[in-house]
Amino acid sequence: MSERHKVDARGAFCPGPLMELIATLRHAEIGDEVEVWSTDKGSAKDIPEWIKKVRHELIGVSENAGYWSIVVRKMK
Amino acid sequence: MPGDPLYILLCSGEHEKLQMAAMMASVGAVSERPVEVFVSMNALLAFAKEVPAEKRYRGGAFSQLLKEKRAPDALTLFQQGKELGDLKMWACSMALDLNGWDVGALVDRLFDGPMGLTKFLSDAESGQLVSL
Repeated sequence: MSERHKVDARGAFCPGPLMELIATLRHAEIGDEVEVWSTDKGSAKDIPEWIKKVRHELIGVSENAGYWSIVVRKMK
Repeated sequence: MPGDPLYILLCSGEHEKLQMAAMMASVGAVSERPVEVFVSMNALLAFAKEVPAEKRYRGGAFSQLLKEKRAPDALTLFQQGKELGDLKMWACSMALDLNGWDVGALVDRLFDGPMGLTKFLSDAESGQLVSL
């Protein structure tokens, strides 16, 4: 059964949120989702671009009160 | 499919340039792009094992900001690039010789060995070369 992991990278500067996401994905199972929270404005575009490049699946990007939430599904 | 290799020629010891090199190297490596970094001149001094942490990074106004805001540490970013992607780091053999050092004088677990400029430039013909 797939799980959703959460990464709270609020307060981390580029490329910290991406690195934290990748470190979590490494230990996740295929099919699991990882939700990363980031206050770094670049993350909203950088992380989806990285997901596309390395062929995971972008589930969604949303802006909350002062931070971005990006959800990715591990595909490989 | 891996992208074209990225080759970074890092000569400056300025904190700001070390930081950008570390960002490019780590992000490139985790994006399935082989990355090789050749470290020479003043840049090599920042990787000396014996340098106290507070003296490792020297720079201008932006260096102060990087320190005050606790941006990701450059050496940590290089290390993450190696752990999470295909990143190799080479210490310029000439710069090592001038300092009387071998690779053991540099911070642990970052460098893959010494290398000469001729070999690095020859390898770099297969990809994109960025100099900092």
